[in-house]
Amino acid sequence: MSVLSVEHISKSYRTVRALRDVTFDVPRGSVFGILGPNGSGKTTLLGIVTGVLNPDAGSFSLFGETSTPANLLRKRTGTLLETPNFYHYLSAYDNLVITSGIKGRGRGEIDGILLKVGLHERRDSKFSTFSLGMKQRLGIAAALLGDPELLILDEPTNGLDPEGIAEIRNLIKELGAAGHTIVMASHLLDEVEKVCTHVAILKKGKLLAAGKTDEIMSEGDIVEVSAADTDRLLELLRQSYPGQKITRDGDTVRLCFTGGGTDTAAVNELCHEGGVVLTKLLLRRQSLESMFLELVSTPSNDR
Amino acid sequence: MLRLLKIEWLKVRRYRAFILLSAVFAVSVVGLNYIVYTQVGRLGDMTTQYGGPEGAGLGGMLIGHPFAYPEVWQSVTYLSSFLLFIPGLIIILLTANEYSFKTHRQAVIDGLSRRQFMAAKIGVVLVTSLFVTVLAVITACIFASAGSAGFTLAGTRYVGYFFVQAVSYMSMALLLVLFFKRSGIAIGVYFLYVFIIKNLLALLLSHKVSEGLGNYLPVKSADLLIPAPTSLGKMFTFNHPDATAMLVASIVWIVLLLWYCTYRFEKSDL
Repeated sequence: MSVLSVEHISKSYRTVRALRDVTFDVPRGSVFGILGPNGSGKTTLLGIVTGVLNPDAGSFSLFGETSTPANLLRKRTGTLLETPNFYHYLSAYDNLVITSGIKGRGRGEIDGILLKVGLHERRDSKFSTFSLGMKQRLGIAAALLGDPELLILDEPTNGLDPEGIAEIRNLIKELGAAGHTIVMASHLLDEVEKVCTHVAILKKGKLLAAGKTDEIMSEGDIVEVSAADTDRLLELLRQSYPGQKITRDGDTVRLCFTGGGTDTAAVNELCHEGGVVLTKLLLRRQSLESMFLELVSTPSNDR
Repeated sequence: MLRLLKIEWLKVRRYRAFILLSAVFAVSVVGLNYIVYTQVGRLGDMTTQYGGPEGAGLGGMLIGHPFAYPEVWQSVTYLSSFLLFIPGLIIILLTANEYSFKTHRQAVIDGLSRRQFMAAKIGVVLVTSLFVTVLAVITACIFASAGSAGFTLAGTRYVGYFFVQAVSYMSMALLLVLFFKRSGIAIGVYFLYVFIIKNLLALLLSHKVSEGLGNYLPVKSADLLIPAPTSLGKMFTFNHPDATAMLVASIVWIVLLLWYCTYRFEKSDL
């Protein structure tokens, strides 16, 4: 069953189309990464799901429920969007009292959560005196109030030092292991790869891919080939491997194979039979980094 | 609703500007009335200071007993109404805080509906108006208790008018802060409207368009609910507009302003 399902959501700001017909499901118990470069629509998407932004078209449902008002369902979620939003003149504790008041819960769990995020000693300090990392941790504390079934985090490690980043990532893993469903946006491939079980990749508001991380991000092989007649080579390969991604870069044609065990001999033989003599045949392992760059830099049919 | 108001209370109880402005308002209400009270006392042959029957002197005959029952209700609410911009200021500061801390987004994210968020703000307007009105009633009772006339409910309709006027001032403040989102510009426009534009526009409408039309402007109609007490404003009394018409206009404006606030907040991206 899906905890969050997004259907055909589109959203435009004045001149920018921030999201175009985005559809995906977040399965229960997954750590779901929304990956994309800056400005790809990640925050807009999370803004819509959290009720802050109104979509132009499309809909979403939380916990598979469609009849309950969305704001009541949001009480079962914990969210940290961009920067943590708190009253600067109130203490950490008082701010959390307000959050639990909104969520309709008592104050009993506040101290435990402040301990968990390491802010208990500063519980009575004003929010305005906190460092960036502490503010972020208080944001996470607020998100954890009420033991939410779904956690929505937008760039949760943004602006943290390496130690803080490791801490937050561990916390996310722990929460995921404890059965919480987590949706997190990130522009860091490495982060998504390390903590997420599922991923959706956004580029310029379009969903490029969604699914299990190991399927989408499986490291693949790239076969680079060249021949005297590059056009003929390209045509031949496109006919022979209709499902594969084939790109041309000057005289070089690149063939992408997901998964391992690519048979370069087969490629050579195929070209030879097709009457193309290869001048170059090279097998390269594709790194995740280049895979991601390739995914988001592929010219998509934008307009 | 009570739950929403409790949350609003958590936000303000440690907010210095709120505490300070509330104190300034309370002191100003008592202070302003006290100044007028002493001046009237002096005019009224200083009767109160000497312990004689109130208004026994020549001056007292002339100006009456503005701080004795039943006229005290009208006098105190009329005088206090000049200070109603202060609660308006409080509403602007509290709501602008939500925007500058982005806590309005957080409230929606954490599970309030947009309508609930606005209901809380309107609730604050109503509760603050209630407190302001109670303060005026207590002030009136204190000053009237110095006189000899017995307590009477006659004239307490002015207390009701004062409540409506307070809601009017704060509704206008709420509209402006929701529109401009920043305290500085919202306060600027609010003062400009309440002190200058409102009166200028009212004059202009009444003179150039139709006699009395200017009375129906938002907040202006509420200002006209409580006329200057005859004893205090005898010298410049003019034809006062019909109280019922002004009451209806004020309530219509309040409903309209608050409805638009809610409509706008429900529609917009936060």
